[in-house]
Amino acid sequence: MPELKAFLEGGGEAGALIRAHDWNATPLGPIREWPQSLRSSLGIALRSPAASAVFWGSDHVFLYNDAWGSLLAGGRHPWALGRPAREVLADIWPALAEQFAGVLRDGQAVNRIDELLVRNLGGETFDSYWSYSLLPVAGEDGRIAGILAQVRESTPFVLRGRREALILRMAERLRLLADPDAILDAAFELVGEEVDAARIGYAELDEGAGTISILGCAVKPPLDDISGTFSIPDFGKDIDEDLRAGRTIRIDDSARDLRLGEAHVRKVYAALGVASALIVPIVSGERFRAMLFAHHHEPRRWSDHEGALLRAATEHVWREISRARAEAELRRSEERYRRLFEQANDLIVLATLDQVITDVNPAAAAAIEMPREGIIGHSIADFLAPGQFDQAKRMLEQKIERGGTTQHELIIVSRSGKHLNWDINSTLTLDKSGNPVGLHAIARDVTERRRAEERQRLLVNELNHRVKNTLALVQGLALQSFKDGRDMAEAREAFQHRLAALAAAHDLLTRESWEGATLDALAAETLGLHDGGEARIAWHGPPVRLNPKAAVSLVMALHELCTNAAKYGALSVREGRVEVAWSVAGDLLTILWRESGGPPVRPPERRGFGFRMIERALAADLDGSAKLDFDPEGLLCRIEASLADAASRGEEE
Amino acid sequence: MSARAAPLRILLVEDEPIIAMTAEDMLDAIGCAVVASAATLEEALAAAARGGFDLAMLDINLNGVRSLPVADLLKQAGTPFMFTTGYGADGCGPHTDVPLVPKPYRIVDLEAAIARATGGG
Repeated sequence: MPELKAFLEGGGEAGALIRAHDWNATPLGPIREWPQSLRSSLGIALRSPAASAVFWGSDHVFLYNDAWGSLLAGGRHPWALGRPAREVLADIWPALAEQFAGVLRDGQAVNRIDELLVRNLGGETFDSYWSYSLLPVAGEDGRIAGILAQVRESTPFVLRGRREALILRMAERLRLLADPDAILDAAFELVGEEVDAARIGYAELDEGAGTISILGCAVKPPLDDISGTFSIPDFGKDIDEDLRAGRTIRIDDSARDLRLGEAHVRKVYAALGVASALIVPIVSGERFRAMLFAHHHEPRRWSDHEGALLRAATEHVWREISRARAEAELRRSEERYRRLFEQANDLIVLATLDQVITDVNPAAAAAIEMPREGIIGHSIADFLAPGQFDQAKRMLEQKIERGGTTQHELIIVSRSGKHLNWDINSTLTLDKSGNPVGLHAIARDVTERRRAEERQRLLVNELNHRVKNTLALVQGLALQSFKDGRDMAEAREAFQHRLAALAAAHDLLTRESWEGATLDALAAETLGLHDGGEARIAWHGPPVRLNPKAAVSLVMALHELCTNAAKYGALSVREGRVEVAWSVAGDLLTILWRESGGPPVRPPERRGFGFRMIERALAADLDGSAKLDFDPEGLLCRIEASLADAASRGEEE
Repeated sequence: MSARAAPLRILLVEDEPIIAMTAEDMLDAIGCAVVASAATLEEALAAAARGGFDLAMLDINLNGVRSLPVADLLKQAGTPFMFTTGYGADGCGPHTDVPLVPKPYRIVDLEAAIARATGGG
């Protein structure tokens, strides 16, 4: 009855197999006795391009088309033909039995999308996903006699979705982490959700040193953390090559893997407890940089899913770690510059282009004598002396026009009103496209330098004045010494002595830094010169300090008196003596010059320069008087000076 | 040196006595008579107020004190004056048109300054 098998025609290879199969010994019996409902549903299944089958009878005898046949892994095709579902789908039967039974019992179709079925084929367990429908087929008597099934494996799509979801979570989590170690921990945790391994780790390559540094591991017993540095060649030459080429490495069994041919290499893997490994390198800029790896202490087959997941994760980890390091470096760099800013002795001021201060360093705040917060937000103009802001604005305009740095000096007014000279170097700050957005100024306080320069200027002026004054004085001495009618030799000697006396007075004052001199020192300086080491001149009196002008004048006067005494008075004979005694009564200083033991004194016919100078110059410079008494017993000179004037007034300007 | 009917009467303001004495001798030599002298600002102001002189010779710096008030007073009174100084040209205040004789003096400079100050130059 060939026509009875017509439903098998066009059923492809599977149809032919069914036709050729000996069904007599099976619960279905010979094909010619198959009920019409079986024939019809099987005909539909065989002609379907999708994987389709009929499970007939209470044993769910399995009849499938070519498309299903190609799904049957593990050499089950064509062995599966005509066998009960519980045998053919033994590994997943526990999950399916009730569904099959239900269809027969209740006549309700089953439709499942992406159903997880944990397969176990050839001793290997793995997740698989299936979309399938089980449709009830009624027999001749109207009761459900079989199931028309269609199935589509969705494992790759579901796993890809799982990977994508995981990588998305990973991206979101890692992005927020600043610490490379935290990034690794989070990545290991997430990878561990999909990759069942006893050790997941991350390593970086140091090409120059020929080493690999394992930076971190997440481990489960019996494997342990192997963070540390390893020599690259220890992991095998072939492995090294694959890593450099950017190829993912799967080692299902390190004891058998041919790439680990050398004995010492196998020993390394054994020592680390690695029976199987999945390693994904990152090649960046054509160089092997880093890798993410999974180790297991038992041999295992690494799935494509695990490989793909690890690859995707590796890229993220590498990128995020690089990012975290760059950020950390940036923070360190910012920290360094912040410290420089905080600790600089130079004064640093940042401002907008409108000259509003945006920041100052502590040195600048201290100089302005205000807290930083009190300065920020103020215009630079608020801290400048009048008229200085125009200069600051001109400098800013110059920088905006020509760029570069300007150097100029501004006078800053501190909170307490101190005027400070700041020597300022300022530059525009630019945004990424080179447009000026503000300015920063580094200044040095040159107030002290300016003051010193001013002092210096005054000193030079003063020196000039003194030199001129001294020259005028010398001129006076010369004119007086060389008056008409004088004996030239005598005049020359007198002039020389006067110059020497003037020089001695200057020496004395220079030793005292021109702060005046004591009367005792003046007497010693002048009188000692004329004494000739014979102690014929005695001087005594209380300590008195004279100002420079008075001191010079007194030295000159004493010199003139000595000269006169040596020529005409007490010092012209061996027995003659001179006594200089001074006393202070309140504000009045009295100096008494008394000669004795000399030739009888006669008043001179004409007052020479010496006496004129004593009477006039000394009187004027001491703000007092000088009187000469030509007592025949010996010359007397009484000098009175106002101490308030002669002593107190400091250096002349 | 021009001969004069009567010597020009001078107020000499100079704080350094020896220089004052020198100036007196020099002025005497060119036919001037120092009729009053002062060594301090107070003395000079008093002497200027008293008058009795034809020309004042003012040291700008009197022992650290500027003699400008004396110059102002003389200017008001219309009395001719001239400055002497050991400093440079500055220090004359507003009287920049007044003759200035630097120290040490030269007789020719004194003569020229006197001539200018008295309008005889």
